[in-house]
Amino acid sequence: MGIVIAVISGKGGVGKTTATANIGLGIALNDKKCVVVDFDIGQRNLDMILGLENRVVYDMVQVMDGEASVKQALIKSKASENLFFLAASQSKDKSVLKSSKVEELVLKLKEDFDFVILDSPAGIESGFEHTIEFADAAIIVVNPEVSSIRDADRAIGILDSKSNRVKRGEDVAKYLIINRIVAEMVESGEMLKSEDILDILDIKLIGKIPEDRGVIDASNQGKPVVLDKKSKAGQAYNRIAGRLCGKKIDMEDIEIPDSGLFKKISRIFR
Amino acid sequence: MKSNQYSVKVYETTIDDEDKFIEFFDTNYMLFKDYLILIHGHLSQRIKEYLTLKSLTYLHDIKLPKGRSRKAIEKEIEQERTQNAIYMQIAEAKLKKLSYRLENNLTVLDKMIRSGQEINIDGDLLLLNRVNSGATLNIKGNLIITNIVEGAVRCLGNFMMLTASHKANIIFQGVEVDNELLINKLNRVELKNSKIVITPVLKKEINWA
Repeated sequence: MGIVIAVISGKGGVGKTTATANIGLGIALNDKKCVVVDFDIGQRNLDMILGLENRVVYDMVQVMDGEASVKQALIKSKASENLFFLAASQSKDKSVLKSSKVEELVLKLKEDFDFVILDSPAGIESGFEHTIEFADAAIIVVNPEVSSIRDADRAIGILDSKSNRVKRGEDVAKYLIINRIVAEMVESGEMLKSEDILDILDIKLIGKIPEDRGVIDASNQGKPVVLDKKSKAGQAYNRIAGRLCGKKIDMEDIEIPDSGLFKKISRIFR
Repeated sequence: MKSNQYSVKVYETTIDDEDKFIEFFDTNYMLFKDYLILIHGHLSQRIKEYLTLKSLTYLHDIKLPKGRSRKAIEKEIEQERTQNAIYMQIAEAKLKKLSYRLENNLTVLDKMIRSGQEINIDGDLLLLNRVNSGATLNIKGNLIITNIVEGAVRCLGNFMMLTASHKANIIFQGVEVDNELLINKLNRVELKNSKIVITPVLKKEINWA
């Protein structure tokens, strides 16, 4: 039996889909069988970031309606044979999701995979609720800014009241990813510190991702940044995937700006 | 004022036949001479003269206040007693309810109030965690929050104790409190002589670093 992780954020555009793709691939590279499911019905993005756009034949809604089997709809990633992908429907909208059918699909995937990662849509409507309903754990992605944190706070509140695990009296594990940290802005006080964010949200931190230009390029090319061993963001995603697989990896402080030779010299003269 | 109180014996009668009446009084004169005679019905000149002759005191056609019988009084006392018992029971029940409310009016919460959550409490609240931005507390009683408040708080109690960040919206007794006055580590806000008084309980820790 695998573990179902929902990737949520509340606010849109904070990097949920990128995080889903990278964590999924990172886990697969750690030799665990992993499937990523795009729950953002009507706005399919994850296939592009994984570089599997042209391979999508059947989508999740067709599987739930019985038009295709799970096996037919699963797409194997080019980057790792442990990673599979289930696409969202591009033509339908969120209202087609039904609790019973979502549960059936999630349980089926749970049997075959070590990790089932669900990419939640932005917002807190029905699509979001279906994503968290059957999740065993949640990864909350935030940017270090107030609006993202308030929306994440709201999303956690809903997770704590509407998830099936909570209704059964169990706990949903919640992990925080702080995405797009700019060290210089944190140092100058323009960006929220991760301690402040953790104070507000009061959940376990699983990783911090620095702002990295490589991420956009990697998404455009369909090669998740986790494959790029030199990229700071890629390394951070790799560490998060390792932690999810049970490895003990220390937190790396990415909130201290790069201290290159030139900067060191310029500091002396400050 | 000088006054005396007497108990007087009254003989009450109605005159049907004047001869019979005079005959009756003639025979029983000794019995009735100290009585007050109360006569109902027609009082003729002949009777009047007869009564004056015999020097009997009489009253004609008035209603005398009548004392109640012992049984009636006893009955009334009994009724009053049961009524009193019922009142006592009602009062006791009310008192019990009130004291129960007083004893169990305090809610203690140790959970983070997250954005979008709304807590409505009739009594007092002791909250041992944060109130995040976007959350709302509606408290009818007194309120103590030991951690920072960033959301909205409406308190209708006699006092509240809290720390608010500049983002918070604090309304005490329907009046918005300036957050600048609540930045100390713990502040007491209370109603004194219908004025809102804010006193710092713990001063803000000065961070020298």
